[in-house]
Amino acid sequence: MIVIKIGGSIVEGLHPSAILDIKNLLKDEKIVLVHGGGKEVTNIGNKLGKEQRFIVSPTGVRSRYTDKETAEIYTMVMSGKINKSIVRMLLNNGIPAVGISGIDGATIKAERKKKLIILNENGRKMAIDGGYTGKIKNVESSLIKLLVTNNFVPVVSPIALSEEIEFLNVDGDRAAAYIAGSLQADKVIFITNVNGLMLNGELVKNMNYDTAKESIPKIGYGMEKKVLACTESLEMGVTETIIASGNVENPISTAISHFNCTVISK
Amino acid sequence: MKKECIDCGGELNIPDDAVVGEIVSCPDCGGDFEISSTSNGSMDLKRAESVGEDWGE
Repeated sequence: MIVIKIGGSIVEGLHPSAILDIKNLLKDEKIVLVHGGGKEVTNIGNKLGKEQRFIVSPTGVRSRYTDKETAEIYTMVMSGKINKSIVRMLLNNGIPAVGISGIDGATIKAERKKKLIILNENGRKMAIDGGYTGKIKNVESSLIKLLVTNNFVPVVSPIALSEEIEFLNVDGDRAAAYIAGSLQADKVIFITNVNGLMLNGELVKNMNYDTAKESIPKIGYGMEKKVLACTESLEMGVTETIIASGNVENPISTAISHFNCTVISK
Repeated sequence: MKKECIDCGGELNIPDDAVVGEIVSCPDCGGDFEISSTSNGSMDLKRAESVGEDWGE
């Protein structure tokens, strides 16, 4: 089984051959898709008159602040517009896709962050209410397995359920990692807009788990989360993790063949 | 404002305009402390929770 993490749009940032590539792979493999889509949430939030607030962590990471209203918009856009657009695109190409969120079947459970540490306007560290973001604690993959067993392609949006049964904004890369771990997938592929991890100006083609863990502090934001998700996947029993570009012809099978991408394994 | 570190007794330098929620670090032991209340020029501190960066989408 292969878990594939894509961005918020299967059209933007993905080579036109990607969907048929997935269709061909389905002849021999079971596939689960996990998507992101933060930019679209920001766009729709702004259109709804809910300007998205961004906060900066002490290490300089700029992130959305998910208050209750933002969590509702996030859920609506992720599991509505984005998820269903991807499902429609797959169905339109003969792929039997079913869209679910991490809420459905209580698939993704997370712990709500009680506090966040940000840099305030004086550039000093400050603790604020954590809002509605969470750290994934557990993936219950029965619903995904049910769909896969019946030859559907699950398309999962990264929304988790808190212990208090609230909607939580969780990171899509980490969601893909935890889903892959729960399914004991053979591979998890993180499709992005670059060929893979660059270190010292060069593409890292292969990396083992220990080196990847050591490298995380040296990697820029965005890619660092993908490498972290790779190491978490490996810790949970996934055999191989790949970070690859979606902008090449047949991006998924190209990644599986290890061409021009980063492969992280144990 | 100067205050004693809860953990090591070191000297914490707290900006006069600091507000509730701000985190101050001890230069001696590296501990982080959150300003839990301010009143009449005094401030109370508590140990800051360790919060990982896991911010969602």
